[in-house]
Amino acid sequence: MVISCASVLAILGFLAYFALPIFAGGHLGEIFSWEWRPFQGQCGILPMAVGSFLLAVTAMGLAYPLGLGICGFAHGLGPRWLRRPLLGLIHFLTSIPTVIYGFVSVIFLVPLVRGIFPESTGYSWLTAALTLSLMVLPTIVLLIQAQLQQVDGRVRLASAALGFSPAQTFLWVLGPQASRGLWAAAVLGFSRALGDTIIALMVAGNAPQVPHSLLDSIRTLTAHIALVVATDSTSQAYQSIFASGLILFMVTTAINLTLRRLQSGTRPAASHD
Amino acid sequence: MIKRLTSLAQACSWLAVVTTLGLVLLLLGFLGLRGFDALNPALFFGKTPAWAAITARLPVWHGIWPACVGTVTLVLLASLLAIPLGLASGIYLASYAPGPWKRWFALAVELLAAIPSIVMGLFGFALILFLKKTLAPQANTCLLLSAGCLALLVLPYLILMTQTTLEALPSELRLTGLSLGFTPWQNLVHILLPAGGRGILSGVILAVGRAAEDTAVILLTGVVANAGLPSGILGKYEALPFHIFYLAAEARSDAELAQGFGAALVLLLLTAALFLGAYYLQNTLAKAWKQKDLLI
Amino acid sequence: MLSRKKAALVLILMLTVILGTVPPLWAQDPLAPFKTLEGKIDIAGGTAHIPVMTEAAEQIMKANPKIRITVAGGGSGVGVQKVGSGLVDIGNTGRALTPAEVSKYGLKTFPFAIDGVAVALNPQNPVSALTSQQVRDIFAGKIKNWKEVGGADAPIHLFTRDEASGTRETFWKKLLKKGPIDAKANIVASNGAMKMALAQDSRAIGYLGIGFVDQKVKAIKLDGAEPTQENAKSGAYQVTRLLFMNTKGDPQPLLLAFINYIKGPRGAKIIQKHGFIPIQK
Repeated sequence: MVISCASVLAILGFLAYFALPIFAGGHLGEIFSWEWRPFQGQCGILPMAVGSFLLAVTAMGLAYPLGLGICGFAHGLGPRWLRRPLLGLIHFLTSIPTVIYGFVSVIFLVPLVRGIFPESTGYSWLTAALTLSLMVLPTIVLLIQAQLQQVDGRVRLASAALGFSPAQTFLWVLGPQASRGLWAAAVLGFSRALGDTIIALMVAGNAPQVPHSLLDSIRTLTAHIALVVATDSTSQAYQSIFASGLILFMVTTAINLTLRRLQSGTRPAASHD
Repeated sequence: MIKRLTSLAQACSWLAVVTTLGLVLLLLGFLGLRGFDALNPALFFGKTPAWAAITARLPVWHGIWPACVGTVTLVLLASLLAIPLGLASGIYLASYAPGPWKRWFALAVELLAAIPSIVMGLFGFALILFLKKTLAPQANTCLLLSAGCLALLVLPYLILMTQTTLEALPSELRLTGLSLGFTPWQNLVHILLPAGGRGILSGVILAVGRAAEDTAVILLTGVVANAGLPSGILGKYEALPFHIFYLAAEARSDAELAQGFGAALVLLLLTAALFLGAYYLQNTLAKAWKQKDLLI
Repeated sequence: MLSRKKAALVLILMLTVILGTVPPLWAQDPLAPFKTLEGKIDIAGGTAHIPVMTEAAEQIMKANPKIRITVAGGGSGVGVQKVGSGLVDIGNTGRALTPAEVSKYGLKTFPFAIDGVAVALNPQNPVSALTSQQVRDIFAGKIKNWKEVGGADAPIHLFTRDEASGTRETFWKKLLKKGPIDAKANIVASNGAMKMALAQDSRAIGYLGIGFVDQKVKAIKLDGAEPTQENAKSGAYQVTRLLFMNTKGDPQPLLLAFINYIKGPRGAKIIQKHGFIPIQK
């Protein structure tokens, strides 16, 4: 117990300690700027922050409707006998290693995107978003599902007695009742997408720019850490990765605290697979 | 009107399910087909005779055997560090009296669960830099460091799984022991743990699977592309997920790419086996307490 | 009848053949120095070095399993930083160390091969020669379509390396003359990854060590000069650099043996096999 507390504090402490020179040295404005040209002394990480945000949002935008559809399917919109195999499969998806999504995407999806859109290299925001959405899908489904399950037990008989079909129950009773779970799934799915490194690193192209289209190459904060971690340890470029780490840490923490408030009363489901 | 909306929603849900199934089939089929061809002794051992490689008498080149051994060692070490801590903390959160501390512990666990794995890796890397500057100039990124960071990464899952499993046991069960005059400790050891054992075990297995698949942590804490079998817990090592990551970007030939598919399939089979084990245990537990869907 | 001269010639020829194939007793086995050593060598840094390093490691570890050598990439910057902070034993760079780096970490440097940095395309691309100015404009993002340099009407896909790369530094200093690189350019993390990216994308342009050029990528003529290692050596092709191994302080016996092996005759063979030009001691 003490270890978990201590390690959370230690992680925060170390990140802060190594990011400190930025704040102390008055380089804050340089790190939080829009140009990444370390040779010219410009080490802005804002493009990466934007990249992280955009990628996570689009991945969620793709995955969330799918997830919602699947949950609806399992709770009345689809035939009941398919429910267990479907949820079993979704459960199984959580066990697929992230690097495998990335690997298949590099070999299969990247050339496909390049083939369809000649102006893109295939290593793009779009490719990463598609891959990432498949990866966060099970998290979303399982979170929504957990909430629906709770509500389902309470209202199923009542709504059946009122003459609702299972499909109608889902649309007008279950769904609205489970809205807190729907929010939680969206927020946690977002946090999971934000925290991914490997897929972004492998297929997003890693160009340190604010993208103008879905076909542009982007770099996330996580990929930025992985790319820059081993450059000269006193340079500003190096400090920028600790700033990136700190941002990620604070954002996920903020998300969790918000969620805690959102869910106060209900037990938070396991947040990651 | 309502009818039409309903059927529209139904159509959408079918679409979602079919799309997902299609994508998953595509992913697994592609990997299965390409990976299956690569599954042979040469994938694991290169040109080294298999037995000599397994008994570590001869080093393996151009095979994924060292990466497999590296991953297994890494995961065992991480489990060794994380499981006792995770179980103890989970039990504490589930059974002992609520106090002001408990809220903070629970919060810390949740925050720990939210930390992205690359940040955990960065923490490990920073820790080594810090140690080098202060206490131990010899400190270096290594197997032990990776295992430690991975242990921290999976710790919250273990804690949450243990806690949820214990709390999900029927409350009669909790009370029976106590009302028979058991101390809380006796109640825990003789009644609650045996009853929840399968659920906890499945949590452990899932955590192991998570440790086996993570790439971002080890990327910063000591994995390398060529190291041979791990030489000790203070040495650098190879690991399957990193090997796949590496080959995806740098396969120098079609043969190396085929090796990437083989390695990916092996890793998938490993995590899938762990998952199925955990799933089986969870289901039998749920059946045992007639709460079929509780743990899904 | 054979003349005496001919007989002597035949004899000499035979002797040379025998001496050439059977290693004479007095010539030292290049792996001999490792026989009495044990320990580990961690290598990281320059990615052009990786094929040479892994093959040398393989030979040495086969000869003496008590020696363990690990090889990682990362780029030249990584090599300097890691060897400087003691995280690895040998840090490779594809560029010369700066005086600041040498004095800050107390590094010793060992050049062992010459390599050129070639501008490379996908083999399907009809373009096979560019001027330096065209390359500068392409990387600056001024030229965006292949038809502007005599190719097909297709957008140009830029690939570059991360800032830790010595290949990038050589390319940037010697060819781009420190000109800008478009922020749109995709970033890959090693020479190997660059080769794979170029091999897959028919509209791509990038740059990589000549040692990595084979039939999968097309190295183009630059201002009329063919990017071959011979031209790199003679100076006809100007975008060149040396490949270095660096140690912190004077190398320990095992490290020294490794460095001598790389710089020795067997190392030279390995270096040549992977497309670089060895520097003789």
